[in-house]
Amino acid sequence: MNKTARLKPTRRSFILGLTLAMVALAFIAYNVIQVAADGPVAAPATGIVCTENASSTFTLTAKEGYISMADGNQIYMWGLAEGRDDFQYPGPVLCVNQHDTVTIVLHNTLIEDTSLVFPGQVDVLANGGPMEPQFDGQGNLTSLTEVATANGGSVTYKFVVNEPGTYIYQSGTNPGIQTQMGLWGALVVRPSMGPDYAYNDATTQFNADSEYMMMLSEIDPLLHQAIERGESFNMNDYNARYFLINGRTFPDTLAPNNANWLPGQPYSSLSHIYPYHPVDYPLPALDRFIGMGVEGYPFHPHAFNAQIIARDGRLLQTPLGQDLYEERFSLPINPGQTSDALYAWTDTYKWNPDAAPGDADEFPVEIPNQQNLPPGLFYGSPFLGNQDVVPVAGHSFNQCGEFYHIAHNHNLQQITGWGVVLIGQITFTRIDPPLPNNCP
Amino acid sequence: MRKRINRTVKRRDFLKLGGGVLAGAALSKYLPRTVGQSGAVVEAAGFSQVAATPADIHLVGTDGWIYLPGEIAIPGTVNQFYLPDDFAPPGLTAYMFGFRDVTGLTNDQVFAQKMKCQATAPLFWVDEGQEYRLKLTNVGLAMRPDLIDEHTVHWHGFRNAWPIFDGEPHSSVRVPIGRSLTYFYQPFHPGTYMYHCHVEETEHVHMGMTGSVFVRPAQNGNAYTYNGKTYHKFAYNDGDGSTGYDREYVINLTDFWAEAHWADSHVQLPDWTNFNAEIFMMNGRVYPDTLAPNGGVDGNPFNLNDANGDAVAPVGRPELQYQPLTSLIEVNAGETVLLRFINLSFSKQSMTVPGLKMRVVGTDATPLRGTTGADHSYDTHTIHIGSGGTFDAIFTAPENVTSVKTYLLYNRNFNRLHNAGAAGYGGQMTEIRVHPAGTLKAQSDPNTAELA
Repeated sequence: MNKTARLKPTRRSFILGLTLAMVALAFIAYNVIQVAADGPVAAPATGIVCTENASSTFTLTAKEGYISMADGNQIYMWGLAEGRDDFQYPGPVLCVNQHDTVTIVLHNTLIEDTSLVFPGQVDVLANGGPMEPQFDGQGNLTSLTEVATANGGSVTYKFVVNEPGTYIYQSGTNPGIQTQMGLWGALVVRPSMGPDYAYNDATTQFNADSEYMMMLSEIDPLLHQAIERGESFNMNDYNARYFLINGRTFPDTLAPNNANWLPGQPYSSLSHIYPYHPVDYPLPALDRFIGMGVEGYPFHPHAFNAQIIARDGRLLQTPLGQDLYEERFSLPINPGQTSDALYAWTDTYKWNPDAAPGDADEFPVEIPNQQNLPPGLFYGSPFLGNQDVVPVAGHSFNQCGEFYHIAHNHNLQQITGWGVVLIGQITFTRIDPPLPNNCP
Repeated sequence: MRKRINRTVKRRDFLKLGGGVLAGAALSKYLPRTVGQSGAVVEAAGFSQVAATPADIHLVGTDGWIYLPGEIAIPGTVNQFYLPDDFAPPGLTAYMFGFRDVTGLTNDQVFAQKMKCQATAPLFWVDEGQEYRLKLTNVGLAMRPDLIDEHTVHWHGFRNAWPIFDGEPHSSVRVPIGRSLTYFYQPFHPGTYMYHCHVEETEHVHMGMTGSVFVRPAQNGNAYTYNGKTYHKFAYNDGDGSTGYDREYVINLTDFWAEAHWADSHVQLPDWTNFNAEIFMMNGRVYPDTLAPNGGVDGNPFNLNDANGDAVAPVGRPELQYQPLTSLIEVNAGETVLLRFINLSFSKQSMTVPGLKMRVVGTDATPLRGTTGADHSYDTHTIHIGSGGTFDAIFTAPENVTSVKTYLLYNRNFNRLHNAGAAGYGGQMTEIRVHPAGTLKAQSDPNTAELA
C-alpha cells in the first residue's frame, strides 16, 4: 500500500533525524535543568498534574488545536480543554475522591457531534437520565451515548465513583476517529485511605512525590490530515506513525510539565525517584498506565520490574484478600485498559569510587575511560552521586551524579516516528543520590 | 535453603597472586590516565585491555550472514529480491548483525570473527548470587565500513542495574569499533531473561543482536518432591518443588523484515513504522531447520568454535554454521521439561502445544505467586508473549511411551507459520519428541540431548 509509495529514507536523512533528535534532547535536558533550578511555577516539573476541585464538577470543551512531534511535524488534533482553557492533549487528568459525585459538562465546538463514555463507571447519567446508546430513526447506531451536538452543543454526565483506581474517559461518538483525534483523558479516583494510597489496601501506599501518569497513544498523521482538510478517512488505511507518552514524543517526554514550548502538550513523563531506603525513602513510586492504542504496547522499564497491582481500577487479589500482584519487565499495556504499577530501585551493589583495592565496595571491573568508551548525554560516572570530568569536546546533562534508566515500548518499531529513530514511546527514570546530595 | 554461590576469581584474588601487580604496573606506566572528579584513577581501556579479572564470557559484536529459505521479492521489480540477498555469500541468504562467543580465542582470532555473527546470540546462564563478567569487543561491520556503530550489551530485565552495566547508551557508555568493555552481573532474581544491544536499538535488535540468558535459583541442588517426583533443578526458589524439571529448553522468538535486512546490506534505511515482518524464527532458525542438530564441536553449541576460532556447523548442515542452536525438544517418557520462552520480535506471539498441558510458573523472571505466596500459576496450551517478555512454562511428557511420540510446538498466529510465503509449514515451529523411558541421558546443558 503506502509502502511502495514511500521513498526510502537515505542514510543522510537518518543522520539528520538523529542529529535533530540529539539537538532536541540537548534542548530538553537544558530546560529540565533550568526549570528545576528556577523552581516549579504552577505544577511540579515532573509527576501527575491533577485537575481537581471541591465539587468534582468539571467543564470540558472539545476544540481543535495542534501538537508538535519531535521530528518537527505539527499534527492537527481535537482535544478536551478545561473550561475556557486552551486546547490540550490528552484531556485533563481529572482527580476525584472515592464516593464523590462527579459532574462533567461537555461543550462541543467541533464540526461534528461528540460525547464521552466512562469505562469502569456504573449508573452514569446523561442529562439526568440513564446513559444509553443512540440510534437514528432507522435503528442505526449513531453514538455510544448521548452527545453534545456539533457547533456549540452541550451534555452533562454525572456518576458516583465507588471504586478507587485509574480510569479512562473517551469519546463515544465516531470513536475510531475521535479518540485518535485526541478526545480522551484520565480519571483518577483516590481511595478513602488517602491520596498516597492507590487502593484501600496498605500494600498500595506510594510516595506522593513520585506518582506518574503513563498514557500511551499513537498518531496516524494521514488520518489527522484528512480530518483537517474536511475529508473522510478509511480506517482500513490506518497505520500509526507516531507513538506518544502523555501526548508527547521523545525527547519531549522529558520536558517539564507545562513546558511553554509545548503548548497543548502539558504533561511530562520523566520519573524522578531516590534509591530505596527503609527509613528515608521507604515507599515505591506509582505509574498509572493507560493504553490508548489499537493494539497492546509491551512497555519495558529498565532496572526494575514494575509490580502491577491493579487493572481497570480493580486490585489484583484473591477473594480471601491475598494479593496476586505481578512483577513484570514487559508490561502489557492493552487497548482501553489501565494498569497501576509500583516500582523502586535499590542500590544493591553500593560500589564506591573511593574504595581501596580489595574492599567489598570496590568497583568490580576496570573503570571505563570516557576517551575510549563514549558516554551518553545523561551519564555522570559509573558511580551514583559522582561525576567524571567530561571529555574534551564532550558534553553531559548529568547534574549531580544521578542515574538515569530508560523506559520504553519494546515493539521497537514504535520507538521511532515516521522514518526518524528515537522519537517514539521513550521516557526515563531519574534516580537521585540519597539526600543530602548536590543535586539542584 | 542452601545457598550456592560459584565465585569466579575476584580481582583482588588475582592481585594476590602477584601476576596482576606486574600487569597493573605495566598498564599504569604505559597507558594514559585521567583523574575523575572523585580522585579515582581511570585507566584507559583499549581493545588490548588487560582485565584484572578474566571475563567469564567474551562476546564480539559484528555483522554476518545466515540461511533463511524462501524468496521475498522487491515490490515493483522483476527478479529482484530482498531475500535471498544478492550480496549473500554462497549458501547463505540473509544479512544480520549479531554477537559471537569468542571466549578463549587469541586477539587475532577474535578480530577474524568479523562478519561471522550468529543468530540468535550465544546463550549463557548464571547462578543466583554468582559474580559474572561479560566482556564485549566491537570488531566492526564488514559489509558496512561506512557505519561506525557502537555496540553494548543490555541484560534486559536485570533488577537494580547500575546504568554502567545496563548498556542503554544515553545513561551509560558505548563500545566503539576496536574497543572493549567488561560488564559485571551478580543477579539475585532467578528466571528467564534476554540480552541485546541497545545502540540504535530498533535496528540493532531487529538485525539480530539478540540473545537468551537465565539465572538458576539458589535452591538448585536440593531435593524437593512434587506430585510424587523428586527434582534437583528448579525454575525458581519455590520451596516445594513446584517449579522442578528434568530438562530445559530455551525458545527465543525473533522476526525478520526482509526489507530492513536488505536495506542494511545495501546502504539504505527503512522507515521502521512500515515494519512488516515476513519471517518468524525460533532460536534463529525456521521450521524445519529448527529440528536440525546443534552446531559446535561434537554438537555442543556451548563449545562452538574450531581451532581457528570459527563456528563449527551442525552435522550435515553447513548453511546453518551461524545458527547453532536447535529447538528440537527431546525428552524421556514421564519426564518434566521447562520451556523458557523469550520474545525479542516486535510483536506479540502465541505459542501453542496441542496435546500437552503447559503450566506457566513464571513471567519476566518472577514466579507467579503474590507477595504473600498466593499461587497464580496456571495450566494452558497457549501462551501469549509480548515483545520483551519471558514465560517459564513446564510440561510433563506422557508415561508409557513405547515408540517415539511427537508433539508440535508452534505459533498459533498462523500467518506466521510459513517460510517467506512458500507452501508448506515453516516459521516458528518445532517438535517435542517423547522417547521411551531411559532413551536419553540426564540433560547436562539446555537445548541438548544425548542418547543413553
